Amino acid sequence: MDNIISESLLRRNWRKVAYGGMQPGFDDNHTDESFLEDMVMNANVVKRDILKVMQDSVSISQYLCIVTLVSLVWAHTLQSTLDENSLLLLDASLFGSGFLVLLLTKEMRSLNLLFHYILNISFFTTGLYMLAPIYHPLTRSISSDSIWAVTVTLVILHLFLHDYSGSTIKAPVVLKNPSLTSCVSLNASVVASVFIASRLPSRLHVFAIMLFSLQVFLFAPFVTYCIKKFSFRLHLVFSFGLMAVTLALVYTLHHLLFMLLLGFLVFISVVCPYWLIRIQEYKFEINGPWDEAKLCFNVTD
Amino acid sequence: MADQKHRILMVSDFFFPNFGGVESHIYYLSQCLLKLGHKVVVMTHAYGNRSGVRYMTGGLKVYYVPWRPFLMQNTLPTVYGTLPIVRTILVREKISLVHGHQAFSTLCHEALMHARTMGYKVVFTDHSLYGFADIGSIHMNKVLQFTLADVSQAICVSHTSKENTVLRSGLPPEKVFMIPNAVDTAMFKPAPERLGNDEIIIVVISRLVYRKGADLLVEVIPEICRLYPNVRFIVGGDGPKRVRLEEMREKHSLQDRVEMLGSVPHAHVRSVLISGHIFLNSSLTEAFCIAILEAASCGLLTVSTRVGGVPEVLPEDMIVLAEPDPSDMVRATGKAISLLPNIDPQQMHNRMKKLYDWHDVAKRTEIVYDRALKCPDQNLLERLSRYLSCGSWAGKIFCFVMIIDSLLWRLLQLWQPTEEIEEVPEFTLPRHQDEEIISNFN
Repeated sequence: MDNIISESLLRRNWRKVAYGGMQPGFDDNHTDESFLEDMVMNANVVKRDILKVMQDSVSISQYLCIVTLVSLVWAHTLQSTLDENSLLLLDASLFGSGFLVLLLTKEMRSLNLLFHYILNISFFTTGLYMLAPIYHPLTRSISSDSIWAVTVTLVILHLFLHDYSGSTIKAPVVLKNPSLTSCVSLNASVVASVFIASRLPSRLHVFAIMLFSLQVFLFAPFVTYCIKKFSFRLHLVFSFGLMAVTLALVYTLHHLLFMLLLGFLVFISVVCPYWLIRIQEYKFEINGPWDEAKLCFNVTD
Repeated sequence: MADQKHRILMVSDFFFPNFGGVESHIYYLSQCLLKLGHKVVVMTHAYGNRSGVRYMTGGLKVYYVPWRPFLMQNTLPTVYGTLPIVRTILVREKISLVHGHQAFSTLCHEALMHARTMGYKVVFTDHSLYGFADIGSIHMNKVLQFTLADVSQAICVSHTSKENTVLRSGLPPEKVFMIPNAVDTAMFKPAPERLGNDEIIIVVISRLVYRKGADLLVEVIPEICRLYPNVRFIVGGDGPKRVRLEEMREKHSLQDRVEMLGSVPHAHVRSVLISGHIFLNSSLTEAFCIAILEAASCGLLTVSTRVGGVPEVLPEDMIVLAEPDPSDMVRATGKAISLLPNIDPQQMHNRMKKLYDWHDVAKRTEIVYDRALKCPDQNLLERLSRYLSCGSWAGKIFCFVMIIDSLLWRLLQLWQPTEEIEEVPEFTLPRHQDEEIISNFN
């Protein structure tokens, strides 16, 4: 009788349950054939195409060129090869071209929005003009070497943390909080511009260079983003043009820097994409019942 | 073999006065092991001014080590800082086996590492699930791999948790045991009188945080209230998402149908549970979920999300499972409401008594301890080779950490020889003797 009962118990299949004590005939460390059968590997892996990745990397090269151009203007101003009048002219032309790009690429062209922008920018410019006398003697007690070292570090930090996915300044309609890193990056660039501006001989210089740097750091990502959204081909043409101009200008300044920049551009747009594609095969993603469930609706806090 | 009595040190950052799954697991397991005749000592960090040695029910000795928690009740990871005190406790209490609990507990990891260095057998219980994708998980999984590389046996609380732990730590599956949590059915008895069925009350008791699915509740509650006019909700628990629930209540004018209790002390959980018919659990991840057991033991029908180890916890006729999305949860709740007339709380309670028992858990854990003690002793070199296989970089770091730990241990032995550490005198609780006398008398 006992034999029959124990046999019938033994014949009972192992079940994946936690209740009812130890399952007869099976130890607690029993590993069933069904062990890990719900595991899914590499479910969300996207196959990447090298050409697409290279095209996407152009945005990064483009921004690197923009920052290099700003640094070039800084260098020329500090060497006094660029005077304040040409700087102001540069500012004005940048404003003009920026607006033109915005007007041409934006879908909603309203006079109201334009007025809004102009008002904001005039406030911004006036504020900067009034602050220029403060910036001017700011770092007089610090040696130029230290300022250069800090500025270079800040610019590198800015490039590292910059949000390349979109633009840091969003259109007024979009209410999306920028990430912490993009804020740090923006602030690093502003501090770097203040440091450079404080080494200049006159207040007008300070104003002009600050206006120029802030224009680029604040609005260039937005403008390039608009161009990219408007037409990808235009974005590519613009980027390659920018790269050519930057390389040419850097070549006139310093040959070693030219090699360095060229190396960087090749690294970003050729080596990195190839590398990314190569390491894709090591991708190993595990999903299973232990994963935290994703909510199928948006949570607004 | 069964007669061999162990002297066990339970280590975790989480213990009374904190409350939760790990805390109650350690407490009940220790109590039942004491009743089986083993000696159990618990080591945790100081909670507020609760520091030093305390005794709990049944002579359970607890060391509240004077290390302050720094984040989420965890002590600061100092790697070697706890070596002297762990060694002293191990020697003083003549411990034979160290049992660590919970993967986020830094104290547990450190104590297990020191215990291995000193040649003790160690057992580790994992109470939680972890993903593999984010940086936090990757770090935690590496730490777990380090601890489990040299553990004698491991325990998980559900089969899903076992799969997860095996994947995370690379431990051979036959070294990992599945021993679930249990519930103290004597504490969670159903209401003496059956509640009427004209008004259906749904109880939710959980911390109101993202991981417990508070956002799902925000979507589900108004919909159920709209579909079933005779349903009322009682929500117990507090947390950052409480504001959202209160907003929902005001937006849908459900103040008279959704009662928010705020945080419920563990001693009052039963009184809240027995005022309802259905228990709703909306967790997004859960290794085991003791709350479901408590509810079922009180005779409530459970509606839960199908996540982690939850589907293994109860037989199919005692729980209604739903995918973690609002519409399916509303469907499942509707199904539960239609099942209600067939549910007898007293019968459910009696079934729970058979399904879960802490004494059973303790007996199964005892088997794991016996197995752990049978594991062969290994010298440092053999153990180092196991650490080395944990990864090209991590393996070398792990080895380095272990070598330093052994050196520090040798140094401590010179500084304070083992013979000089006073051993704790044995004593048996008079209460146990009384019980024995009474039982003999009868």
